Amino acid sequence: MRLKSLLAAALIVVASSSAALAQSDCTKLVPPSPWGPNDQTGATNRVTAGVTKAAAAEIQEGKVVPMSYPLADGVPLFGTRFTKTILTATSLAPGASFGENQLTYMEDTWLSQSHVGTHLDGLGHIGRKDCYFNQTAMGKYINQNSITKLGLEHLKSFATRGVLIDAVKVYQAAGKLKSNSACTKPCLDKGTVITRADLEAGLKLYNVTLREGDIVIIHTGWGNLFEQYPKQNALFNSGEPGIGKDVANWLVSQKIVAVGADTWAVEVIPGEDPKEAFIVHNILITDHGIHIIENVRTDLMADEAARTNRATFFFNMTVPRAVGLTGNFVGIDGIR
Amino acid sequence: MDSLTPAPPSERRWFVAGAAAALLLAAAGAGGQERRYTVAFANLTEEPTVTLEGTGFTGRDLRESFALAARRLPVEMVFYDNERNNRRAVANAEAAVARRVDLYVQYHADAATNSIVADRLRAAGIRILAVNYPVADAPLYTADNLEAGRIAGDALGRFAARPWRGQVVEGVLVGSLTANGDRVSERARGVEEGLRRHRPGVRITALDTHGNPAQVGALLGKFLAARPAVKLLVGAMDDATALAAKNALEAAGRAADAAIVSHGLDRSVHGGVNDRKEIDPANRGSIVIGSVAFYLDRYGYELLPLALRMLRGEPVPPRTVTAHRLVTAANVFLEYPPSDMN
Repeated sequence: MRLKSLLAAALIVVASSSAALAQSDCTKLVPPSPWGPNDQTGATNRVTAGVTKAAAAEIQEGKVVPMSYPLADGVPLFGTRFTKTILTATSLAPGASFGENQLTYMEDTWLSQSHVGTHLDGLGHIGRKDCYFNQTAMGKYINQNSITKLGLEHLKSFATRGVLIDAVKVYQAAGKLKSNSACTKPCLDKGTVITRADLEAGLKLYNVTLREGDIVIIHTGWGNLFEQYPKQNALFNSGEPGIGKDVANWLVSQKIVAVGADTWAVEVIPGEDPKEAFIVHNILITDHGIHIIENVRTDLMADEAARTNRATFFFNMTVPRAVGLTGNFVGIDGIR
Repeated sequence: MDSLTPAPPSERRWFVAGAAAALLLAAAGAGGQERRYTVAFANLTEEPTVTLEGTGFTGRDLRESFALAARRLPVEMVFYDNERNNRRAVANAEAAVARRVDLYVQYHADAATNSIVADRLRAAGIRILAVNYPVADAPLYTADNLEAGRIAGDALGRFAARPWRGQVVEGVLVGSLTANGDRVSERARGVEEGLRRHRPGVRITALDTHGNPAQVGALLGKFLAARPAVKLLVGAMDDATALAAKNALEAAGRAADAAIVSHGLDRSVHGGVNDRKEIDPANRGSIVIGSVAFYLDRYGYELLPLALRMLRGEPVPPRTVTAHRLVTAANVFLEYPPSDMN
């Protein structure tokens, strides 16, 4: 009888320890949000009315610079990602128009994953084990269709100042640019680690000091391969120049809202440590709620900055209030 | 205040303190910025199709690993290709002497040539780090084929203890078992040792492909035909052989009777999301249950920290071996995180 009791007790201990393993202790894996235990908004909390008003001062000429790539069949996509559009145009058939005014219409069905083309990584995109931004044990907040916490609907505005850092110019000035031969304009090659010193040199180039609430956009030139789609898709996807851990931590200390680049992951690929996976994503999104914006078209703004000797602009980006999404393709204009 | 007018004592003190602080900061800055070293890596061969150490890795994989690892270290890399040619190896060492590199990483198989290379470099005061083959008494970084084999054999033995308890089980060693220079025979011996830890009396048959993976089908097919009711534990010496063995077993309708563990863990078996791969969390049912990692594509990450320790005058062990590890569907993404997602 006593042996049976002992065995039963042992079984309970084993069962309870197995259950504990099923869910991580997120307080040990992810720091809390500085905006409180219920925060699902992250760094866009920094976009206050004052920040937006100050950013509006960047609009001096009313010039709009496009900063998104076309979202079309044939652009570089990753892994199993796909986009497919299906056009409904039945009313164009003879006799199918409506009314005396002969109204016709067309609509699209868009089958696509959300992280394609120029897109925003939301707070539900990247975690450490099952732990996401603000120590969220995400296993409890997913269903078959979407996430029920940290979705895009919780984000505030991105109406803030954008700061372009032209890494190509920095590397050219330092005499260390090793462009990839497939780039038709100068570009940093894949695997190039953009350092904090590089970013600081880029800011100094246009006499900019980062301020809280900024969005940092890095021009690497690698996006030139995106523009050549589909010819250079394989090369574009095979790696990229980008920032590493040191820069990610420095950007965190600058209290920015987001960092974007003309690359598919913003961070350097291959990464600095081959046993780490997308560690910059973890630092920025999971640990600090700072967004990453991928495949940003940067060359036009880089040209504009070089022409006017000014690298700041009003960052105009629309993010759909898509409930329960981890990210989405976006449209960006830099307004000056 | 006129610059020629002496400052009052209190201001002088501030000036002296300020100047001292500036000097200290400058010194700290100089001390904080470590000098950069020039490290040469003389590769065994960079011929595109030639694989190294009885694995699927090429010289290009090694070279890239040095280039990537150097990115976050105070190191400028200089690359040489020994072309598996003794004269070329000596000429490369002489070129490195002329270039006044700080340290030379030598990867060449010929002992006599390595001795000459060591003499040339030492005469110029250049430190040496040897890869896989000794270079005089320079610190050596090497694969440990015997231990890798033991890990593979142990994995096979453990596997057989579960689903095949009480059934007739035999071991098969398949691959280029007598290849010169690659020390694959040590690997095979290790598999035997590892397997016999679990099954001391197990019968083990060696099938030597003599470096031709196309032989695997014929050799294994004949072997299988003679053993219709036996479960097989297959120790494949490399990943290409493992995949060929899997095909042969499937062709013979015997896939359910076998488990394979391989050596190398090159990209042909792990790959990324876009690659066809055998060892993958989504392919846990594969009869290739794992591969013992040799990490040749990470040599730069292992060797450059050793080189830096030598250059800083710190002691390093005379022999450092690769930390071989069994990689299966359960840990492959931890060991080789696929970078084709974002």
